[in-house]
Amino acid sequence: MIGDVLDPRKTFGKALQQVAEADSRVVVLSADSGGSSGLGEFAKTHPDRYVEFGIAENGATGAAAGLATFGHIPVLCAIAPFITCRNYEAFRNDIGYMRQNVKMVGRNGGFTYADLGATHHSLEDYAIIGMIPGVVVLAPQDPTEIRGAVKAMIEHHGPVYMRIGNDPLPEIFPDDSFEIGRAKHLREGSDLTVVSTGYVTPRVLEAVDRLAGEIEVDLLGLGTVIPLDEQAILASAMRTQRVLTIEEHYLRGGLGSGVCELLAGVPDVTVERLAVPHDFVPSGRYGELSARYDLDVDGIERRIRAAAYPRPRTAQGVAPGSS
Amino acid sequence: MITLDRTRCVNGAATPSELAELRLSAARARRNVLRMMAATPAGHVGGALSAIDLVVAIYRHAMKLGPANHDAPDRDRFLLSAGHKALAQYAVLAQVGIIAEEVLDTYGQTDSALPGHPDMSTLAGVEGNTGALGHGLPIGCGMALGARASGLASRVFVLLGDGELVEGSNWEGAAIAAHHRLDNLAAIIDVNGLQISGPTAEVLNMESIVDKFAAFGWATCEIDGNDMADICAALDRLPLQSPRPSVVIAHTVKAKGISAIEGTVGSHYWKPNSEQLAAAITEVDEHVRREESVVTAS
Repeated sequence: MIGDVLDPRKTFGKALQQVAEADSRVVVLSADSGGSSGLGEFAKTHPDRYVEFGIAENGATGAAAGLATFGHIPVLCAIAPFITCRNYEAFRNDIGYMRQNVKMVGRNGGFTYADLGATHHSLEDYAIIGMIPGVVVLAPQDPTEIRGAVKAMIEHHGPVYMRIGNDPLPEIFPDDSFEIGRAKHLREGSDLTVVSTGYVTPRVLEAVDRLAGEIEVDLLGLGTVIPLDEQAILASAMRTQRVLTIEEHYLRGGLGSGVCELLAGVPDVTVERLAVPHDFVPSGRYGELSARYDLDVDGIERRIRAAAYPRPRTAQGVAPGSS
Repeated sequence: MITLDRTRCVNGAATPSELAELRLSAARARRNVLRMMAATPAGHVGGALSAIDLVVAIYRHAMKLGPANHDAPDRDRFLLSAGHKALAQYAVLAQVGIIAEEVLDTYGQTDSALPGHPDMSTLAGVEGNTGALGHGLPIGCGMALGARASGLASRVFVLLGDGELVEGSNWEGAAIAAHHRLDNLAAIIDVNGLQISGPTAEVLNMESIVDKFAAFGWATCEIDGNDMADICAALDRLPLQSPRPSVVIAHTVKAKGISAIEGTVGSHYWKPNSEQLAAAITEVDEHVRREESVVTAS
C-alpha cells in the first residue's frame, strides 16, 4: 500500500467537483442521490449545474440524454442497480443508441451494499451495460484511479458507465494516471497471469505479494472492463499459459467471460475465474460475504495457489484431491 | 390544489391563407405517406395519419424548420415519442426540404435512412431515437433543461400517443417538467383512441388525460387534432400558462384521410394490397387537388 485509505464516494464526489469546476459543460444530475454520492458541496456551490430529479432514475436517464444533445456533459451517480437495471432500456436507447455523451456512475457496486440485500447489489452491471454497443465500462481500482477515471470519462466523448464501491479503499498507485482501455502491469511473473478489476485489486495485490517467492504472478490490474486491454492480456497469457480472472461480479458476463472469449482461440492457455456464483447474494457483512466467495485476501491467495498448481484434468473433469 | 386550465383553444393567430396553405401541406404530407407505402406497402399508417396534421403544423407553423435552420443550435426540437408514427415525420421532413423527397422511395429497404422507427444517425432532422414508447417525455425534459442551461430560446415539442401514456416513464417526465417549470416544453398528445389491441379505453383506460396532466402541474388544453385552425390556435398560445409545461390534448381520428380505414384498429399497421393502395392514392390526390384550389382561390 502506498497512500491513504479513502472513501470511494467522497473521492469520486471531490474529483467530479474539481473537474466540473474547470469544465462548465459538466452538469451533475441527482436521483435523490447527489448528497450520498459526495456531491452535496457541488449542489450548494453550483446550483445552476446541479439538477435534482428525485427518485426517478428512468426519467433522469432519458433527461441526461436530452441534456447531452445540447452539448452538456451530464453525470448521474446513484446506487448501481438503479441506474443499470431499473433504467436499462433508457440506458440502451437514449444514451447508447442515441450515442450521447452521458456519464453514469454506479456506486456501492457489487455486493458492497452488503447488508441492504440483493435489491441493492449489482453483480451484473459489467455484463448488461457492456452489451450496449459503444459504452465504455470503467471499474477504477483505488482512489487514485477513481480520480483519474473521472477526468478520463469527461475527456472521452461518448457514453461511459463507471462502477465504484462502498468501503474505504487503499491507494495503491503513485499518481492519478488513468488511460481508458489500458491495463496496469502491477507485478511481473511467469507462473500465472492474474487479471483483476475494480476495487478488488488492492486485495489481489496483497495476496500476490504474500505469495512472492512461492508463485511468481504476472498481475494485470484493469481499471477498464470494456474495452478490454486485449494486447496486455494476450501477451501475458501466452507467456504463462495459465490465467486467473478476479472480479466482484457474476461469473457470467463480466471480466472473466471477456477474457475467456479473448483466449478461446489461443491454444494451450487455461483460464480460471474467481467471481460470484450466479445467484442472489444474501444480506450480510461485507467482509464475511467476501470471504464466502473467496474474494477476501485469504480466499484470493487460496485461489491463486490453486490456479498456479492445477489439478490434472480427466475426462470427467478435475481430478479430486490431487492438489 | 391545481387549478385546471380547460381553455379550449380557438381563434388563433394563423390567417385564413396560412391555414389554407397548412391544410394543403397536410394533404401533400398524406400523399408522401402513400408514396412510402408504394415503396413498401406496410407500416404504421393509422397513427401517422392521425398525427400528421399536428406534425405539419409543428414543423411549418410553430418551429418553422427547413433546410436552412434544421441544425441551428437554437432551433426548436421535435421529438416523436410515439416513434411508430415515423411515416408522418418522414413525410414532413421531405416536404419541408430537410431530406430529399427521393429518400421516401427507399422506405422499407434494407439500410434505408427511413427505418420503422426514427434514427438520428441515419436521418437529418431526427432529434431522438424513439420507438420504444415512453421515452420522449424524459428526453424532452432533458432537452428543455439543456436549452435553458445553454441560454437558448429553443422550445421542445414532444408528440405522444394516447396508448403510450400508460408507460410510467411518461409520468416521471411529467413530474420532472412541472417541478423544474419547463415552460419551454410542450407535450402534444395524439388521442386517436385506438391502439393495436383495441380502444385505449378498453385496453387500459387512462382518462382523464387532462386531469392527470393538470394534477401533475401542467397547463392543459384540448383541441381537434385534425383541425388546422384548432392546432394553430393551441401552438400559437404556447406556453399556455408560464411557468408550467404545456400539454395539448389533440383528439384525432386514426388513419384520417383514407376513408376505407379511418377509425379502424386494423389501420394501426396497414398492409394494403395494390387495389387498396391505388384507391387511397386516388382519394388523397383528390384531397390535394381540393386544397390546391382553395389556396389558389384565397
